[in-house]
Amino acid sequence: MNSFPFRMAWRETRAAWRHFAYFFVCIMLGVAALVGVGLFGASLDRAIQREARSLMAADVELRTSRPLTPEGEAILKSFEAQGIARMQVSELVAMAAVPSEGESDRRRGTQLVELKAVEPGYPFYGKLRAEPADALGKVLGGGPDSFALVQEALLIRLDLAVGDTLKIGQAEFTIAGVLRKEPDRAAGAFSLGPRVLISRKGLDATALIQPGSRVTNRHLLKVPDTMDARAIQDALAQTFPDKTVRVSTYQESQPMLRRFLRQMTMYLGLVGLITLMVGGIGVASSVRAFLKEKLETIAVLKAVGAESGTILRVYLVQTMLLGLLGSLAGAALGAGLQVALPPLMAQWLPVELEFHLALPPLALGLAMGLLTTALFALWPLLEVRRLKPNLVFRRDVSEEPAGSPGRAAWLISGMLALALAGLALLQAGSWRSAGLFIGALVLALGLLQGTAWLVVRLVRRLPRWRSLAWRQGSANLYRPGNPTKSILVSVGVGVMVILAIHLIERNLLWEIGETLPADAPSFFFIDIQPDQHDAFARLLRERGYADTRLTPLVRSRLWSLNGEPIRPEAYEEREHGWYFTREYVLTFQKDLPRGNVVTKGQWWDRSVPARGPLISVEEEAARRLGLDIGSMVEFDIQGAKVSGRVASVRKVDWGNLSTNFYFIFEPGALEGAPMTYVATTQVAAAEEVPLQRAVVAAFPNVSAINIRDVLDSVARVVDRISLVIRFMAGLSILGGAFVLAGALAATRFRRIYEAMILKAVGATRGAVAGTFAVEYALLGAAAGIIGSALATLLAWGVLRWILDVKWHFPPESIAWGIGATILGTLTVGFLSTVSILGQKPLPVLRRE
Amino acid sequence: MIQIRNLSMRLSSGGREVPILDGISLEVPAKQFLAIVGPSGSGKSTLLGLMAGLDTPTSGSILLDDVELTALSEDDLARLRRQKIGYVFQSFHLIPTMTALENVSVPLELAGDPEAEVKATRVLRAVGLEPRAHHYPVQLSGGEQQRVAVARAFANQPALLLADEPTGNLDSATGQQVIDLLIRLNRDQGSTLVLVTHDPALASHADRVVTLCDGRIVSDESQVGGPRVQP
Repeated sequence: MNSFPFRMAWRETRAAWRHFAYFFVCIMLGVAALVGVGLFGASLDRAIQREARSLMAADVELRTSRPLTPEGEAILKSFEAQGIARMQVSELVAMAAVPSEGESDRRRGTQLVELKAVEPGYPFYGKLRAEPADALGKVLGGGPDSFALVQEALLIRLDLAVGDTLKIGQAEFTIAGVLRKEPDRAAGAFSLGPRVLISRKGLDATALIQPGSRVTNRHLLKVPDTMDARAIQDALAQTFPDKTVRVSTYQESQPMLRRFLRQMTMYLGLVGLITLMVGGIGVASSVRAFLKEKLETIAVLKAVGAESGTILRVYLVQTMLLGLLGSLAGAALGAGLQVALPPLMAQWLPVELEFHLALPPLALGLAMGLLTTALFALWPLLEVRRLKPNLVFRRDVSEEPAGSPGRAAWLISGMLALALAGLALLQAGSWRSAGLFIGALVLALGLLQGTAWLVVRLVRRLPRWRSLAWRQGSANLYRPGNPTKSILVSVGVGVMVILAIHLIERNLLWEIGETLPADAPSFFFIDIQPDQHDAFARLLRERGYADTRLTPLVRSRLWSLNGEPIRPEAYEEREHGWYFTREYVLTFQKDLPRGNVVTKGQWWDRSVPARGPLISVEEEAARRLGLDIGSMVEFDIQGAKVSGRVASVRKVDWGNLSTNFYFIFEPGALEGAPMTYVATTQVAAAEEVPLQRAVVAAFPNVSAINIRDVLDSVARVVDRISLVIRFMAGLSILGGAFVLAGALAATRFRRIYEAMILKAVGATRGAVAGTFAVEYALLGAAAGIIGSALATLLAWGVLRWILDVKWHFPPESIAWGIGATILGTLTVGFLSTVSILGQKPLPVLRRE
Repeated sequence: MIQIRNLSMRLSSGGREVPILDGISLEVPAKQFLAIVGPSGSGKSTLLGLMAGLDTPTSGSILLDDVELTALSEDDLARLRRQKIGYVFQSFHLIPTMTALENVSVPLELAGDPEAEVKATRVLRAVGLEPRAHHYPVQLSGGEQQRVAVARAFANQPALLLADEPTGNLDSATGQQVIDLLIRLNRDQGSTLVLVTHDPALASHADRVVTLCDGRIVSDESQVGGPRVQP
């Protein structure tokens, strides 16, 4: 191939570096976002693979909330004979208390904790970090004293220090040290309280484990190298066909966390993709601005005999080389993001990430950078072919070349778009999310483009402003050749993403915290044993809580529906399959609970004789499970089967935070089933501590859950997640800012010229700045309004269709969004044009 | 009205200092019509621009009504221009996004005149372009554009009118119209007019002709009989 295009491309780039600096940065940011997230995901996968055993602390785990059956015990025993080591880890929530040292003790006294009891040898894999380092040895040591390891948060909340005493249930523990990291728990995941780690013997001494107690028992197995963990898993699965036991190998450790991290990475990747699209808009407007300045060169080239194809190749080579360079720089920057992303996500990362340059994300990022460059530069470039030299020399070339770009342009851009969509699919991980994303993006870009067009038309139609600054500023928006639309679209996209994230977060937090009715309970007391029922009710009554309700709870799973047994494996992959496989907490009750409305059937209508007990089922569950009036539902309650007939369907207001149930039996139906009680009550803030103390003193096994603490904890998790996504979205805003700066740079000569005319006829720098300010503020306002409108639409859609949360419109967020956009465009605008103001008119005006 | 003393202007071009004006001293009394002539590159346009404070000289002093221009800030210069100076450029320099009327209004608006539009319309009528008031520059012919520029220069009724080869981009018939207009308006308003031209016929209208060559004044002649206006 002739080297002319390459030589010419280099000359042209050298001469117009200003345009290409923005081009370069736009592509670089987009690729950096994609590569950054991709590399992060890859090193996360690697780390999780590498440390899969530590994440479980074992090779195989058997997880159940019940004691092992004799057959279960037997098979584990037989494994031990084959050299498979085993231990039991129990996890439950409990109350920790500071042993009272008289009424004057200022310490808060009690705290809900996540208790974990381990056996010697824990963990089989991975490292538990504690301070001092030998603290775990003390906890597991066989001495007469009981020791505990606690998270620092507990020490802070209870004002304790290492060496102090802690009371849990019936037993007292000396705090041996501070727990820094457990291999099998992500520190920042949602929790009800700080971790307290004790020994199994210590747990026995607390006497907390009683029938119906909520405890998760994990039987950890360490399989010798010579044996296959998968085979052990299969053998166990056959012994426990029961769905109350889950057997998994280390390859499936921490499924929730993995899914969470995978989804998080996917969302971040999609946000990265948006940044790249914004970058693409920057590419298009840079190329267009560059070619506009090149009209004369192109005309000369044509006049001296260059064919359109040759000229096109010159600029295509130039564009693609720059796209490649930008993508390479982006990949390098993305690798640099590895320093920023892990600390942001550290809370959820149970593993140490190593810096590692995985090839696939790098290649994917480069490919997407090049494709985006090609797609967005193609149209402006193709206009070269239609340029008539004579028109340029006669200086009456119209702004838009006449005629259509031709079928080839459509064909090529269609193919490029398809290729890009294919790569986006690779990024999104599933057809569904890729399709949704691409659809939403195309829709959003279309809407933005359409609205931008409308805004320009509208400003043109407005009556002329009387003020000079307003008149000139607004006229700049619709003058031919001004990149108003590119600016509106690219800044609007950024505003849309970041504001939508904010709106979703706001609504989630609002749903969590602010929708609480005034009479919502503020305390839940759980694990009240049947024999404690009367004494507990009396204690609360004596302390003045007459409104307390004790509700019986029976834990169960679905066994069969209309005689059809439930096979959990059939629902594992299915959407909403958890309706079939989850644990259901049942209750029995005479009266319809508050906030419940019967939508079908009758509440305990005994006038019609029926076989078996009656059940009332929640509307959504009924729909998902395919239940209707008269359907038979059979539950497995710790081995015993209880069935009933659906007598009514209820609508439940889940937002009231009372004890709500999917299934309610009629009174008497669950007699004899193992049950505990839960009490809910409203407690004034000043009463919280004394009440909690009194309850823990009298009923050490009862846990008090403060709703406000739980909501705060959920809100913190939501906040962290949104922080990470906002960080990525910040890159797309940055991209928008560069598109804006690039577009302003492209119109720099015109701006200087007009500013100097204004100065020549007597405008001060302030007056000139005023016309710019109006233009930038109008741009910002338009982009802010369009972006906010789309953000509202997007957030509404996500909340309505995906998160199933009621929509609440926060006008102040929108106002902030628009205000910040105006401020942002003003800032970027002034940074790019402030140097114009001080110029002297004469040299500029004489040059013309 | 204008006192220029020892004015020099050098520009650096390719690392070399190129003298544009070299020790110019000149006094222009009020209401005089002065023509500055000379070959291209002689520095006459630069001299005119410096009189309006559109650039800063390398050395020397320019007094306009006893105000030292070289001591003023950018913004003070701008304010001075809108109060006292009207400027007509060779290539018109109208703002393309504004109509003829708006272009003429700009200096009045900048001066905060509440009747900007009324006055601008009046000036536009005086240059015979009232019917084209709402046309944009691209919709006007070259002669019409320059007449709008002249109207803009006169809008504030400035005491000093500076015109830099106002006919240079126009054919001779149109040029003559513009010149007649300039001279008529200047006389009606009783202002000082400094006209840069290389056309001797044009210069012959002036009270006085100063000739520049290579940045120096080579002759300064008063013309007896005063300006002669073509019928």
